[in-house]
Amino acid sequence: MTTLQPSAPPADLPAGSVLSVRGLRKDFTLHTIDGRVVEALHGVDLDVAPGEHVALAGTSGAGKSTLLRCVYRTYLAGGGHIWFRTAAGDLVDVAALPDATVADLRGHEIGYVSQFLKAQPRRSVLTTVASAGTARGMARDAAREAAAAALRQVGIAEHLWDMHATVLSGGQKQRVNIAAGTIAPPRLLLLDEPVSALDPANRSAVLDLIARLERTGTAVLSVFHDLDAIERLATRVVVLGGGRVLASGPPEQILRDSSLPLEVAR
Amino acid sequence: MSTATVAPPAWALKVEGLGRIYGDPSPESVPGTGPESGTVISPATGAVVAAWDVGFEVAPGEALGIIGESGSGKSTVMRCIAGDEDATTGTINLRGVGDGTVDVRTLDPSARRGLRLHQLSAVYQDPAAGLNLDVTAGGNIADPLTAVGWRHYGRIRERAASLLRRVEVPLDRMDDLVRTFSGGMRQRVQIAKALANDPPVLLLDEPTTGLDASVAAGVLDLLRELLEETGVAAVVVSHDFAVIDLLTRRVLVMQHGRVVESGLTDQLLEDPQHPYSQQLVAAARG
Amino acid sequence: MNDQLTARLAGPPPQPGIFDELSKREIRRAMLSGIAIPGYQVPFGSREMPVARGWGSGGLQATLSLVGEDSRLKVIDQGEDAGVNASNLRRLVVSHVGCEEETDTRHADIIQSRHRIPEQPLRDGQVLVLQVPGAEPLAGIVRDMDEQRRMHAEADYAKMWVRLYEDVVHNGLITAAAGYPVLVEGRYIMTPSPIPRWDVPKLDRSEAITVLSAGREKRIFAVPPHTSVVPLTFEDRPFEVEHTPGAACRLCGSADTYIVQEPAADGRFTTWVCSDTDFCRRRRTGDAPAPAQPVQGETA
Repeated sequence: MTTLQPSAPPADLPAGSVLSVRGLRKDFTLHTIDGRVVEALHGVDLDVAPGEHVALAGTSGAGKSTLLRCVYRTYLAGGGHIWFRTAAGDLVDVAALPDATVADLRGHEIGYVSQFLKAQPRRSVLTTVASAGTARGMARDAAREAAAAALRQVGIAEHLWDMHATVLSGGQKQRVNIAAGTIAPPRLLLLDEPVSALDPANRSAVLDLIARLERTGTAVLSVFHDLDAIERLATRVVVLGGGRVLASGPPEQILRDSSLPLEVAR
Repeated sequence: MSTATVAPPAWALKVEGLGRIYGDPSPESVPGTGPESGTVISPATGAVVAAWDVGFEVAPGEALGIIGESGSGKSTVMRCIAGDEDATTGTINLRGVGDGTVDVRTLDPSARRGLRLHQLSAVYQDPAAGLNLDVTAGGNIADPLTAVGWRHYGRIRERAASLLRRVEVPLDRMDDLVRTFSGGMRQRVQIAKALANDPPVLLLDEPTTGLDASVAAGVLDLLRELLEETGVAAVVVSHDFAVIDLLTRRVLVMQHGRVVESGLTDQLLEDPQHPYSQQLVAAARG
Repeated sequence: MNDQLTARLAGPPPQPGIFDELSKREIRRAMLSGIAIPGYQVPFGSREMPVARGWGSGGLQATLSLVGEDSRLKVIDQGEDAGVNASNLRRLVVSHVGCEEETDTRHADIIQSRHRIPEQPLRDGQVLVLQVPGAEPLAGIVRDMDEQRRMHAEADYAKMWVRLYEDVVHNGLITAAAGYPVLVEGRYIMTPSPIPRWDVPKLDRSEAITVLSAGREKRIFAVPPHTSVVPLTFEDRPFEVEHTPGAACRLCGSADTYIVQEPAADGRFTTWVCSDTDFCRRRRTGDAPAPAQPVQGETA
């Protein structure tokens, strides 16, 4: 069993950051394949402030999704710290918190939106989105209103709202998913290719929705498979390569730096 | 003697150091058993160490999974909590009993059985273990109700009907013997019976194993809704990662009577650490 | 030495007959235990009696343990003092003990019965001995006797209530007739002897002691005076006793007693008589209290 040792946060963390990753390491030991070790992250440092949208860039296999999943604790960090500042102002190390505490944080303060909707069975589209709001403390009526607005925004036609979310198409599910994930924005939102399956029009609507999060003070850490989305949304780009941070800076500077290994998809 | 009031714990169920040995219960039986030894049979005494050093907490509204193959000890743990059998060692506390200060293993057998009325319910893989098949669906639900003092026929029927409606058993089957029900329908009646007195803790032992896939999916959907609505603290024992994934937030992996890994359910599925967990996940992924 | 001690403990040499003093003493101890724990079934060593088990051997042993030479004994079968079984049992005890035969309920010290409790309310000092063919109320519900004992010990009677619930579901009412299950002093569920529902309320807060004895099952239980005996039923399904609107005893005219059908001259079951022959006789001679209130319901 993995023992997680709590330790005190270092004094030099940026005062305003919601997320401060320090020395994050991750590798995978594949016991079913003769104990082969696959290395993923080799000591990543990263900060995200409220209202900031940090996009991760880099080639496939650079560790972008791995980093997101470590922050969400879907992957267990192999070393280093993931400092998260809670709404109550406490700095906690997500890499070392008990499972139950992480589960509570996920419910209230850290959101994760992937391209896959894990919808409750037999629950209508509107309820799926609204209950994401009530789960984060919105009043029932306000949540339904916000859900309706979010669904309109991402182009889910009203006649679909009463249907079970599980019967929707892949693209529709993805949009419901992003609507649910953003209706009551958490302090930290992790976006893992949330627009990958969308046609241009819907993609644009969803990107607009994400762009608005900036105003709510939500800190966003994202992975997009196209540089266009990054350019449009990110306030800062962090380039990963070989499990390390290669560069960090404003998108207009980073995305034009031809020396950096970026996924080419424009 | 301290009489200071202590706030009730955050957990609804806490298990510590739970062990169950069939045969010689002395400490000599434990060495040489467990995952490293690859067996639950003590080389020294021949005793079966079915479960050892199992511990966890479950909060209200939370569902904890226990996964492992048959013989891993997961059902033994559940039966020890349910009181179907007595553990060899360890403590079991319920928040509803003395604000969590009482190890329910120290209660006399009668009081221990009484816990099944108000404090915890169990749903078994085999509906015949939790139901009387020769009694109607309503009568099976009347059992826990009358046990806690319901004496009004009309109100018993109202309550039974509302529970059956909740688990989606057609009300025109309420007065039919459970023996005439399909497997999935029997399981729904068993769930309704388990929820009759709104227990704070619910134990589910392979609740959908043995049902056809489509029937199992319906029962799982129902369970997931119920777990979310009722705020019950649930322990879900299953060999099936699909069940654990759908119903639980955290999970323990058991092998040869020991917990080899514990974690958030998605983490266990995406990034299992222990070789046995990886093997289980790989097998589940086909 | 031991033989002498045993003989001393046994008291005076046993009268020639069917029951020794040690056995009587054991049964009296069992009765006292039963009285101390109302409704609880006390095991006892049932002896061979000159009647077949199931024919009142339990009641006979209880009666033999209680009667003295100056006791007045009434024995009834289906309410009748003159029935064949009643007469034989009464004669057996009288010839064995030398006590007095009695048919008037008011004057009897001990009343042995199986199917009825006399209409005349029992008084302080009387003992009603009921012959019980099936002592265990849970017998038809769970088979395992250890489990039956556990259920009694923990007052875990949900399965009995489920039985009653199922009865109402299938039949619209609780069909239990003879030996209707009762709760004694809020604790033990008990089956009386096969008395009709009509007689069940007479057990409640009775002035007399009721001793119930099952010879075949070797169990004795009791209801002491002033003890609550409540028939099991749902709050919204009141307990009802047998009643045939318009029917009355053709001999004494009573409609407030337990009456039974008898074959009329033409062979059809259309006429009714009191089951309690002693009370019926007294009604006819004006020696019994009149009906408490006018007979309700119109003649059919």
